[in-house]
Amino acid sequence: MISARKHMRAAVFVSLFFVAISGLVLQNMPNEAVAQEDAAQEESGAVVQENSADASQEEPGAEQEAISDAGQEESGAEEQEAPADAAPTTSDAEVECYESRKDATRLTKKDNVNPKYGYPNVKCSPTTKAVLWYGDPYDDTEPIGDTPSFGDYTDGDFAQAVIRPRTKHLKTIIQNGGMQCSGCHPGADPATQKNDPRELMMHQDIVSDALVLEHGRGAIWCFDCHNAANRDTLVNHRGDEVSFNESYKLCGSCHGSTYSEWRMGLHGKRTGEWRVGGKKRWWTCTECHNPHTVEEHRFDPVKPEPPPALPRGMSEDDYKGAGNHGGH
Amino acid sequence: MSEDKRKNDIAEGQDDGTTKESRRDFLKKLGVAAAATTVAPVATAKAASISEHLQTHFEMMSDSQKEKAIARLEERYTEQFGKQVTVAGTPAPEGVLFGYALNISKCIGCRRCVEACVRENNQSRGDHEYPNSAIQWIRVLEMVRGNDTFQVENLHKGSPSSSAIGDYGVQAGGHADKAVGISGHAEHYYEPELVPEENAFYFPVQCHQCEDPPCVRACPVRATYRDPNGIVVIDYNWCIGCRMCQLACPYWARRFNWGEPVLPNEDMNPKTHYLGNRPRMRGVMEKCTFCLQRVRDGRYPACLEACPVGARKFGNLLDPESEIRKVLATKKVFRFKEDFATEPKFFYYMD
Amino acid sequence: MTTTTQPASAFQKPIAFARDFCMYTVKGGKVFYSWMLFLSFFAIVGLVTTYIQMTTGLIVTGATDQIVWELFVASFIHCPSIASAAVLVVTPAYIYKRKDMKQLAVIGEAIAMVFVIIGLNFIFFHMGRPDRFWHAIPVLGIFNFPSSVLTYDIIVLNVYLVLNAVAVFYYLYKHYVGQPLNTKFYTPLIWFAVAWGPFIHIITAFILSSNAQIAVWHTALMPFSFLAMAAAAGPALVIVTLLVIRKFTKLEVADSAIDFFSQVIIWGVGVLILMFAVEFFTELYPATHHAAPLEYAINGHNGLNPYGPWFWSIMTIFVVQFILLCIKKVRKSYNFLLPLICVSVFLSVLIEKPAVLIFPAFSPTALGEYAVYHPTLIEIFNVLFVWATGFILLTLVLKGVVGVLTGEVRDSQVVEEGGAK
Repeated sequence: MISARKHMRAAVFVSLFFVAISGLVLQNMPNEAVAQEDAAQEESGAVVQENSADASQEEPGAEQEAISDAGQEESGAEEQEAPADAAPTTSDAEVECYESRKDATRLTKKDNVNPKYGYPNVKCSPTTKAVLWYGDPYDDTEPIGDTPSFGDYTDGDFAQAVIRPRTKHLKTIIQNGGMQCSGCHPGADPATQKNDPRELMMHQDIVSDALVLEHGRGAIWCFDCHNAANRDTLVNHRGDEVSFNESYKLCGSCHGSTYSEWRMGLHGKRTGEWRVGGKKRWWTCTECHNPHTVEEHRFDPVKPEPPPALPRGMSEDDYKGAGNHGGH
Repeated sequence: MSEDKRKNDIAEGQDDGTTKESRRDFLKKLGVAAAATTVAPVATAKAASISEHLQTHFEMMSDSQKEKAIARLEERYTEQFGKQVTVAGTPAPEGVLFGYALNISKCIGCRRCVEACVRENNQSRGDHEYPNSAIQWIRVLEMVRGNDTFQVENLHKGSPSSSAIGDYGVQAGGHADKAVGISGHAEHYYEPELVPEENAFYFPVQCHQCEDPPCVRACPVRATYRDPNGIVVIDYNWCIGCRMCQLACPYWARRFNWGEPVLPNEDMNPKTHYLGNRPRMRGVMEKCTFCLQRVRDGRYPACLEACPVGARKFGNLLDPESEIRKVLATKKVFRFKEDFATEPKFFYYMD
Repeated sequence: MTTTTQPASAFQKPIAFARDFCMYTVKGGKVFYSWMLFLSFFAIVGLVTTYIQMTTGLIVTGATDQIVWELFVASFIHCPSIASAAVLVVTPAYIYKRKDMKQLAVIGEAIAMVFVIIGLNFIFFHMGRPDRFWHAIPVLGIFNFPSSVLTYDIIVLNVYLVLNAVAVFYYLYKHYVGQPLNTKFYTPLIWFAVAWGPFIHIITAFILSSNAQIAVWHTALMPFSFLAMAAAAGPALVIVTLLVIRKFTKLEVADSAIDFFSQVIIWGVGVLILMFAVEFFTELYPATHHAAPLEYAINGHNGLNPYGPWFWSIMTIFVVQFILLCIKKVRKSYNFLLPLICVSVFLSVLIEKPAVLIFPAFSPTALGEYAVYHPTLIEIFNVLFVWATGFILLTLVLKGVVGVLTGEVRDSQVVEEGGAK
């Protein structure tokens, strides 16, 4: 038998070890207090970002639509780079987010449009200000209108189809209250009569070089689509006036197969209800494609959302080293 | 449960800090005293009642049991997140088989679907200590186009190498150390200033809602199962966290809550479904459900609504008029990893 | 040991047996107490780390969505290896009727019983929601049989546990009270347990090989290589145990028995090396994507090579062990080389599981990611906790077994009768 004294000594020794190890372990255990602080910081960070966007909105030019504002690109870039650590203010004004195309399709975030859940109409990405999520999929939409029957099986869908009207966003800020395009371009310009593009004096943000229009491979120019007689509308090749809301009618006159696919729901985007015949918002051509640069990019390049975290324990270098060739 | 009761339950400032702090204190005492206590019972998420622990599988509950289970959850979530949370038990619509199609020739890799999914489905956002506890159900792969790597200077770097034990002027080996052209390189963590990048295309992967799901087969307790609409769902309260399903999945579509999920109150989406986006607990599996809480209410999944290029199509595979059926009928469609014979209802297509 | 209570009811004797058995197991000499203190240290530290894991979640381990199995499963897979070893002890004793093994069979069964318990403990640590284990109990919860391979494993492990527990304690009790065994009950039980033994390892291998997604596991060779590992690691532990018993107790263990087990290890390691070679050829020659995890384990991937050193050293150790065991002098070195090699066999098979079999197999993931597993301190202490408690249990049970076999734990009546003779 082991002697009692030896036994005691061993016990003391072991328990000392134990205390040391448990101290070590406690040190390594996740610090929940820190995690909470971080969560709190995240919260305030979100507020800050909303406010910074808000601040940029107060600048002239931020509210207007790209199509009528030469300074838009600058203000847009500023908004994108708005510092996240700007001084927080208490104002809770609305945030403006963009949908598919930056500077072209915008929605203003409104809080609590669905009071049952305290939803906003949209949720926007804190990093890119892109609309990620619709609390109200039909916000700012109206029925698609008198789109002629196409003689196909999408007829039933039309009854419930809605679009976001474009016309009311075609405003300038030159005068208070805003004007549509015709405010500056009243009546027909003689220069528009012949197919003779010249360099633009304004709107270079929309068309950087009117002599080389990135659409139609040199076969078309501005007034093949824009209505010279009434700048608030578009015009098709037959000379029929087409509303900016119904750009698809114009686009479809050249891109017929794409148009019919769009009518079937194959091409383009629809949101709302998934059922056939359900209420859907049909996204029109120019909500995704930029007609002035479509030859260069099918879609305008956008800033991606941040990547996921690397696998635990993998550093950036490890990962680059591993190359991570996959595709198996 | 009445509205008033709910409001009363929203205790202002009732943070979980106190409970966590005391747990930590207890731990310290335990450590210092070196008390040989027995293993303490597993501390579960705050206020998860005993009846919640003892409840049965959701599909085995009677209607009244379901109501009770849902009321319990609503009460707990409402208290935890400081806002009114609803947990729906909306049944599956009749005569519907959900399918999804993704146009890889359109996808620009902007990851908005990923972020929209996280926001809609109350995934864990992760924290600083464990950034990997952040959960995303969709993974977008950037595939590098191979055409640039086929260049003359690479011609002699590739296969076949000459034999190591004697080269008779005839190349015999078949062991390519480096192929002349590399294709099929998938990058998960691309972070360019703008997407789409030159010479890249994008390949989002999420749960494929297989008709013969290996994950469902692997689950020892049937916590994950195929619902009447063909969506593979999980009863988060029944999952035992064995992760056999995660091993079985050939699409890497399942994510595990390794720790307590980190879901800030203000980010929490209060409209939830029992089998869909209700907040999960530590130690259970989760996965894409095609936004069950939305699609059972008739709406499109969140990833589809967020996609800026309309690359995503969703609908009822049993309805020949549906968008998804038209895609299958007219486009060049393929399934990912068809060799696993899991019959996914998630299709990829090209224009 | 020297109680004089008279049996008054049917339960008197079993209770006396339980009491005598327990009393005997907890008393011992200096070595015994040192060994137990050593193990208790890890058991007590493990209590704290267990608490941390149970309250914080598996995030305290190194597992991620990329590598979803931790050290717990990797260690668990080793347990059926050892538990199957009972078959290798019982078979010669009861089927080939070797006299020198007759008494040792019960030791093999006791080892099997304890290692099944250790395995189940590891599973408990592996579960994300151990509080919900009742969901997998057939009547209380839902038992997804026969779909889920895990349910087969639950069945085979628990049945094997019961079979061995009954076999061990029935044998000991009969020995304790000095009655002959009821062979009509005991022999079929033993035969059934022998037939059942390989299943626990085959099914455990199926848990791995049923995952078509993890290409390198998806091979029919998996159960056989597992059985080869069982034949190597199980007898290795048995030899060490027998040598310890022979050194520290009065129980006599014949050299022939130990020689038999060292022969089994040679076969086990030899067949295992062959299996590895066959598997490596089949994977590596075509070098399809099925070979990618193996290539990662052997040579790493684009310079990321966390498992290569482990792979090569373990493979080298296997070969060296095989060569050494083929030398008769080594096998006969009961006090030094043989136990050393046995411990090495046990450990190399144990370490092979995480370092070669499990962790590299997860890379590339189903979407082609390569990752490295980083075990955490808490995880390691929890693994040690399970091993320590397991070895405490093993020591106690084996000590009792030896006590009964040597007659130190014996019903007082039998002692008196024996004395009269």
